[in-house]
Amino acid sequence: MTTTQTTATPATQKLGIATTLALIFLLFSGLIFSAEDVVQGSTVRIMYVHVPSIWVAYLAFALTAICSAVYLSNRSRSLIWDRFAGAAAEIGVLFVAVSLVTGSLWGRLTWGTFWVWDARLTSTAFLFITYVGYLAVRRLGGTFRQRARRSAVMALLAVLEIPLVHFSVNLWRTLHQKASIADPNAKVKLDGFMLFTLFWGLISFTMLFVWLLIHRQRLMALEDAVQDQGLDLAIQQRRTEAGR
Amino acid sequence: MDLTPRPIADAESRAQRQRRRWVPIVIVALALAAGGVVVTQFLTSAIDYYCNVDEVGVRDGCVGQRRIRVQGIVLENSLQQADGVTEFMMSFNNKTLQVRYQGDPGGVFQECIPVVAHGRVVDGIFDSDRIEVKHTNQYVEKNKSRFDEATKETAACSQSPE
Repeated sequence: MTTTQTTATPATQKLGIATTLALIFLLFSGLIFSAEDVVQGSTVRIMYVHVPSIWVAYLAFALTAICSAVYLSNRSRSLIWDRFAGAAAEIGVLFVAVSLVTGSLWGRLTWGTFWVWDARLTSTAFLFITYVGYLAVRRLGGTFRQRARRSAVMALLAVLEIPLVHFSVNLWRTLHQKASIADPNAKVKLDGFMLFTLFWGLISFTMLFVWLLIHRQRLMALEDAVQDQGLDLAIQQRRTEAGR
Repeated sequence: MDLTPRPIADAESRAQRQRRRWVPIVIVALALAAGGVVVTQFLTSAIDYYCNVDEVGVRDGCVGQRRIRVQGIVLENSLQQADGVTEFMMSFNNKTLQVRYQGDPGGVFQECIPVVAHGRVVDGIFDSDRIEVKHTNQYVEKNKSRFDEATKETAACSQSPE
């Protein structure tokens, strides 16, 4: 008889349904309910995916750092923190990629070019490469604890890039515009339903992140268990061979 | 055979080990922070994407006939397009610069919008081979009242690009 393990629970199933509904509403809100921009036209709709994507990436990388710090400082060295860190980083990399692609499309339609090497775009690309490197470091081999220790150190260093990316538009002159809502000194410069749709995007993407994070973390735990099982099996085989 | 790791002898040496583990992390973090200060404080002119119109011929890195990027706002009623050539006046901080561009700039290029032009100054005219439109952080609904639109258009030419 085979047993099937799943990463879903009633709670995550409910969260999954709520996330799907939120994303469907975002789709309608972004494509139909919200108006075109007076300068950009329909291109402004890309913002409803672009901004929530980079928000989720920042959130994911911050969580990676927090979980890594907890792993290193906690005496029990519970691997659940390492798995949360790894899962958050994977999702973060995915969303930075989405942000880069959508930003590039928006740039072609608004700026007239897909890419420029200004401080915001370059630092975001560097952030993406850093966390791809982090994921590579997690796969270098060794024991689970070795993996957890070295990747935790890297996560604590890599997170320092986030303020550099976010404030690059204030530190230097960039083609990329400054923040509209994430700048405490700036007045909100988004007309009515545009602002609502953007906030709805932030909420629904955050829900998607939480849902993905829980499932990926549980899947990682299962992967580690399978790896452990493989090791036990290999030891058993060696013992059997030695006993012959 | 017992392969269980031996417990560390005393609490003090354990604390010492933990301290030693954090030292390299703190050193690398400090090095990164120092690198960040260097980048933000001393390399700003190199990292800045463009010179403003009023800095052309004045600011270090914006002088001579070298290839530069210049930012300014396309002056109202200055745009002329004929025989595949686009000409306009670009202004910033009460200084203006005439720009000549071979072709039709892409994006949302129009009057009263901030742009970044790539090229070099030749005989007082900025000879550009690439123009990028710099969008501000303002998003205005197209279907708002005509009054709001008129206000926006009036304000557009007096806005300062960020």
